[in-house]
Amino acid sequence: MTGLLRGLGLGGITGNPVALALAMVLMALLLVVPAAHNDYLTLVFRNILMYAAMAYGWNLIGGYTGYVSFGNVTFFGLGAYCAALLSTHGVDNLLADVGLAIVVNAVFAALLGWVVLRLRGPYFGIATLGIGVAVAEIIANLDALGGSSGLAVHQVDESHFWIYYYAMWLVAAAALLGTLAVTRSKLGYALVAIRENEDAAAALGIAATRYKVTAWALGAMMAGAAGAVFAPANGFVDPSISFSPDSNVFPIVMTILGGIGTVAGPFIGALLLAGVNELLQRYIVNAHTLFFGAMIVLVVLLLPRGLVWLFGLRGGVRAWLRSLTAYRA
Amino acid sequence: MTQYVVNGILAGGVLAIVAVGFSLVWGIMNIINLAHGAFVMLGAYVTYELFTLLHLDPFLSLPISFVLLFALGYALQRWVINWVVRAPILTTFLLTFGLSMLLVNIALIVWTGDRRGVETWYSGANFTLGGVTVPWVKLLTLIAALVITGVLQLWLSHSKTGRAIRATAMDIGAAQLSGVRVAQIYAIVFGLGAGLAGVAGTLIALSSSISPNMGDPYLISAFAVCVLGGLGSVQGALVGGIVYGVIQALATSWQGTIAGQQISGSGLSDAIAFVVLLLVLIVRPTGLLGRATA
Repeated sequence: MTGLLRGLGLGGITGNPVALALAMVLMALLLVVPAAHNDYLTLVFRNILMYAAMAYGWNLIGGYTGYVSFGNVTFFGLGAYCAALLSTHGVDNLLADVGLAIVVNAVFAALLGWVVLRLRGPYFGIATLGIGVAVAEIIANLDALGGSSGLAVHQVDESHFWIYYYAMWLVAAAALLGTLAVTRSKLGYALVAIRENEDAAAALGIAATRYKVTAWALGAMMAGAAGAVFAPANGFVDPSISFSPDSNVFPIVMTILGGIGTVAGPFIGALLLAGVNELLQRYIVNAHTLFFGAMIVLVVLLLPRGLVWLFGLRGGVRAWLRSLTAYRA
Repeated sequence: MTQYVVNGILAGGVLAIVAVGFSLVWGIMNIINLAHGAFVMLGAYVTYELFTLLHLDPFLSLPISFVLLFALGYALQRWVINWVVRAPILTTFLLTFGLSMLLVNIALIVWTGDRRGVETWYSGANFTLGGVTVPWVKLLTLIAALVITGVLQLWLSHSKTGRAIRATAMDIGAAQLSGVRVAQIYAIVFGLGAGLAGVAGTLIALSSSISPNMGDPYLISAFAVCVLGGLGSVQGALVGGIVYGVIQALATSWQGTIAGQQISGSGLSDAIAFVVLLLVLIVRPTGLLGRATA
């Protein structure tokens, strides 16, 4: 099985091929969710797809390139505001929303990346954190964008709400396939080379800054597209929901849980984590964040390399137990 | 103008204490401790409880805050974080994020989300010097911050444990060969970071209201101060804290127009502070004081 999948080109830096095949099958299965005609279920899975798209965006820069960004929510928020602005000018067309969000984010990320991607390691992380805070504050102070009270966004009538679900599915599926395409290309190998040793990569003639900016801009487009679908589906945008800390941290947590620097990881992580979060919110109303925190702690201690790694594990329980002490001091 | 600069310097003392623990843990153990803000919050609640139950003066609760939070930090590192301490930085980042969620939510259950305050007999007192108003509490806080960073710097450079800590930061392998027990040192450093966060929490409780979610802004400012001052450096955190405090205070006083719209700096203080930070990063990527000492 594994050999066959590898033969199809699903190996190497894409991560474990069985996990990838599973992720693709699960993604295809999510197409039938609206058929259940359950609004709650559709909402839950639309959120999962939204987080998955953002997680893929983060995975390109944080996972494949090794530049840990704490500011990717900025792109999601900008995408949401692109859709809101179009809506206030009488344009309500999802294709236009997503198109504008992708263009704006690509330009914004490329300009910004040219500056901040010269910083390395933690310094890059802090700079990106600052960008998120700064952009949210500036928007909250601009009356043209509704200030801190936000903007209303035109919605389709309720019988057509499924359109937002499928739009989000397309964004998430495109993010998965886009990531797969990156890992099958020279770009993907250049990114991994930069992650492993940037100076050595540069010495081999890899134009590091150009590749880093490309990865960062591609990730920004994924998050921005998710934001552009989220805005009309949600009906309004304001700085606190468009740039919420949850939307910043969840995609990172999901990618790490699923498997950082793999194609299957972000989606598997999003499916599990957003799903569990939803269940906890429903059944342990008062303490669900407490359990969520405890779950993160347990996952990190028991599965520090992510779920996708389990698929490639040889030697069963023993090998797993041995791995638990691998990072001890 | 002078008033704003003075306010910034006074606020900078607390920012420095918050940042110094964060910076030590990051610089020495390569852990970005996202639970640092939660430790600050717990320190503030220790002071609050001692003040309301035993009427203990907040300045007297400083050592108690330190010891309790040190114990918590030591235990967390020794028995939880130590399992993944050598993993890539993201692993511990995520782990401390989970721990932070746990601590904040436990605090929410114990103390609820209500804002509380510590009201001492000297809380509102201030004096005026050359047209500048200085609240006594803030001045005492700054002095405490200076004393604490001074003592910490002396301890790190002269005590046996302090030297072992710096050796571990420089070269783990060489430190181990010289008989340093790294797991023990890591637990002490993490405890120290948590203890200092507790001290900061106590100082913060003196001048602002406290709640379980109070830690986040301090976590972000600790990040920023680390950048300004350089990682793992005690003097760096002090200078960075004061510089950041002044930048933020000045940003708050700024008035201007963007896109034909009157905008005041008070809503943009974080944005302005971060733009300055970004400029510093681009010009001097290792912080204002150059390379970290540890």
